[in-house]
Amino acid sequence: MADAGLLNGVLFLPLAGIATIVALPARQDDLVRRLSLAVMLLQFALTAWLYTRFDASVDGLQFETRLPWIAAWGVYYQIGLDGYNVLLVLLTAFLGPLVVAGAFTAIQKDVKLFYAMVFALQFAMLGTFLAQDLFVFYLFWETMLIPLFLIIGIWGGERRIYATLKFVLYTAFGSILMLAAVIYLVYSLNATTGVTSFAFADLYKAELPLPVQTILLAAFSLSFAIKVPIVPLHTWLPDAHVEAPTAGSVILAGVLLKMGTYGFMKLAFPLFPDATRLLAPVFGTLAVVSILYGACLALVQTDIKKIIAYSSISHLGYVMLGLVSLDLLGIQGAVMQMVSHGLVAGGLFLMVGMIYERCHTRDLAAYGGLAKILPVYSVFLAILTLAAIGLPTTSGFTGEFLVLLGAFKAAWPQYVLGSAYPLVLSTSAVAGVVLGALYMLWFAQRFLFGATKAPHLPLLDLNLREKAILISIVVAVFALGLFPDEPMKKTELAARQYQQLVAGNRTGTQVAAEPVLRDAPVPTAQATGGTR
Amino acid sequence: MSWQVVLTAMLPEHLLLAGIVVLLGLEITSRKSRAMLVVALVAVAAATAAALWLAFIGYAATPFPGQYSVAPVASLGKAIVLALAVLVLLIARDESGQRAFPVLLISSLYGVCLLLSSDSFLTLFLGLELMSLPVYALVLLAFRRPESAEAALKYLVLGGTATATLLMGVSLLYGGSGSLALSTFANALGSTDTMAKVAVVLVLVAFFLKAAIVPFHAWAPDAYEGAAVPVTAYMATIIKAGVLLAAVRLFGTVPVTRPMADLLAILPLISIVWGNLAAMRQQSFRRMIAYSSIAHAGYLFYALLGEGPGRFQAVAFYVLAYGLMNVLAFASLPPSENDAARDRLDNLRGLFQRAPFAALMIGIAMLSLAGIPPFPGFVAKFLVFKNVIAAGFTFYAVLGLVGSYLGIYFYLRVIQYLFMSAEGPAATRGTPGRLALGASFICLLIVILMSVFPGFVIDRL
Repeated sequence: MADAGLLNGVLFLPLAGIATIVALPARQDDLVRRLSLAVMLLQFALTAWLYTRFDASVDGLQFETRLPWIAAWGVYYQIGLDGYNVLLVLLTAFLGPLVVAGAFTAIQKDVKLFYAMVFALQFAMLGTFLAQDLFVFYLFWETMLIPLFLIIGIWGGERRIYATLKFVLYTAFGSILMLAAVIYLVYSLNATTGVTSFAFADLYKAELPLPVQTILLAAFSLSFAIKVPIVPLHTWLPDAHVEAPTAGSVILAGVLLKMGTYGFMKLAFPLFPDATRLLAPVFGTLAVVSILYGACLALVQTDIKKIIAYSSISHLGYVMLGLVSLDLLGIQGAVMQMVSHGLVAGGLFLMVGMIYERCHTRDLAAYGGLAKILPVYSVFLAILTLAAIGLPTTSGFTGEFLVLLGAFKAAWPQYVLGSAYPLVLSTSAVAGVVLGALYMLWFAQRFLFGATKAPHLPLLDLNLREKAILISIVVAVFALGLFPDEPMKKTELAARQYQQLVAGNRTGTQVAAEPVLRDAPVPTAQATGGTR
Repeated sequence: MSWQVVLTAMLPEHLLLAGIVVLLGLEITSRKSRAMLVVALVAVAAATAAALWLAFIGYAATPFPGQYSVAPVASLGKAIVLALAVLVLLIARDESGQRAFPVLLISSLYGVCLLLSSDSFLTLFLGLELMSLPVYALVLLAFRRPESAEAALKYLVLGGTATATLLMGVSLLYGGSGSLALSTFANALGSTDTMAKVAVVLVLVAFFLKAAIVPFHAWAPDAYEGAAVPVTAYMATIIKAGVLLAAVRLFGTVPVTRPMADLLAILPLISIVWGNLAAMRQQSFRRMIAYSSIAHAGYLFYALLGEGPGRFQAVAFYVLAYGLMNVLAFASLPPSENDAARDRLDNLRGLFQRAPFAALMIGIAMLSLAGIPPFPGFVAKFLVFKNVIAAGFTFYAVLGLVGSYLGIYFYLRVIQYLFMSAEGPAATRGTPGRLALGASFICLLIVILMSVFPGFVIDRL
């Protein structure tokens, strides 16, 4: 009970943070910065404590709070930790202090509003992960738009207005169709079972005919796929990343993109399992296209932020592939990949921000041989680059490797049965790993080695604050790479539950052993039949 | 019909009437226009309290059988409208020089109250006209620019058309049923008789005209732009609320069936789309709000597609949320050297640097009008579309939601002006009046209540 209270405390702490900094007198920018950092650190400490208390052997929600909110509609304020969100909540809380600290010198204008917006964003993101009620989830999901709209629009680069409007209009379009789908889903649940509820647990039980499932899945997927983003819905991402201030980019890459994959895992796929299995080849194809296309585009960019932005598209393609493989390893790999990408891409964006603060350009051609003049910076950059490639012992390896393993494990039996397409997909995904190594190493080579050049010389190496930020990220990256066992245990039951929900064995006597990546559409009778 | 019943049931109306009488007396005896505003505020606030009291004790009575009745739902509707009127009066300090302003406003409010309690078309017509006539004068009252006269005339002519259409419809209904009771409309809704159908369409068109639904919307942008700020706020909130709540009363709890449902969905849908599209191009704040109100009238008529008691709930919540947002936005508009300059959207550029509180308030109002959570505009929209889908009109609901998406752009553009643009050269400094600030705070408090505990508000509607 006390822990449930603590979880609420973690969720609402950012609001307390807003209240505190608004109450501070004007022109106390340094005080605002320090207080914000203190609040974020406190939040991380509380979250870490909750993480250690999280029991990996319990199936379902822990530290749950459930209070009637809009009683007339059956909406409950319901939050809790489970295997789906525990790592993502920890990641969000971990990146919070780093974002705040990373913006200490970069943000000089409207400091109060900036930190208030970072807190608002933190609140909305944690709420989205923690919500166990579809209405509450949607509320938090949409609320996220406003602070980020302002963060990019006020503190962004030259084309910030264009970028931020593009971001919001893209995302809002997905959300509006999802809203219609949410209402329709709840209404159908009410029509078939007589229960009016928005609780995820109840909605999982809705039995919908396949055509309805397909339409609803399409509506949910559009919203989530824009957020991930999956090619071809990705065009907002490079603009948003390039124009956003460092803090915005870190939050965007570190947490926000995972909202999309989390949405697929927690909602879209398990809510509409039959349609998911029918469309699995489509999702698989899009995932692999994202991996390859993102990597190819990253290869030709000259803006450092764009390289990392396109690499994000590529890396999140692995998450999608793992999720649709429906193999236990693949699913767990997808979760690990989400966390790993949050750390690595977040760290890389922070590092780009640091060099940008010194030189005011993100043009790769302006740099070279930084290893000689910025040795400490270069070491950290090299580590994060290798983690992005997925070098063993780093977090990137665990995720990618497990996803590919899962994809192959799911594809092989089907190859034996005569359908080669899943195997082709998995093999193409491996090509993405090679491309990933290519663009990241090429980037590091041009950036760190060769003839020394930089727009401003001499350059100061990292200061204590920046070192502290990067050390914490690197420690987390190695911890996740060397000891993946512990976090994976905490997510295992959720991965099993997801697999069971989507694979369709709802009565749950056995975990579906049958992999589901197919090349031909499943006949309707087979999809809707079975034990549902 | 004992006099006690008449006294209690019509308490809000009586208080308004007392206000009118005192104001007319003051007009003769006193020269102080400030005092008139205070009297008006007291009268409307007292009427609000009375309406709330009647609603919460669940008072139901029929002082004039067949013409006028009071039920908790009607009292609640009155309370919402009157409370919004209090806020409008608070932001009307600029108008205190206009001595006729408070009297006209309260007279119009009396009409709204009558409208919400009407049982027959006779009372309905009386209420509708009493509500509209003072507003024609109010629009003209701000005779600061030649456009005001044009706006008032346009409004008057189209208002007259609405009246004529309504009367024509009512006479057809009377011809068919021999009764003037409001229920004849609900009965005619499902009827297959051609005359009944024509009557329904005519009455609907009158309501569409009053609420500014495309293609009967042409008066709204001119009237909104031509009138003074508080009058625009009054038209955008209270008139719209009165018309829609009256429409809910008219429809009763009868389900709407095709083909009437199509008429009731398609024109509002066009309003949503057209209102949102046209608002994108506006450079005047009030004109933009006018187009936004055209779109919002569309959502409100959508609510009538829903079923039974949910209609009142949806419309009442929506009207409350929408009205509060308009008042909040108008109350926080920065002052400027003249009315036309104050109205320019450019005037909002960089407002956050000059007046952070006002900028935040306008920002909240815009986000809520756009239907972005956590603000009450979202729950209001959710409530409407939930009812529409539950009534089986999923297709229209999806189209309506997509239409509402079109609106996001221009609301965000205002926020972009407020927070992301450099100050324009014409930027003037100055704070809104103390009363307007008070109105903003009241709005903000109710908005927070409606955002954090929407269930609390919905349960009471």
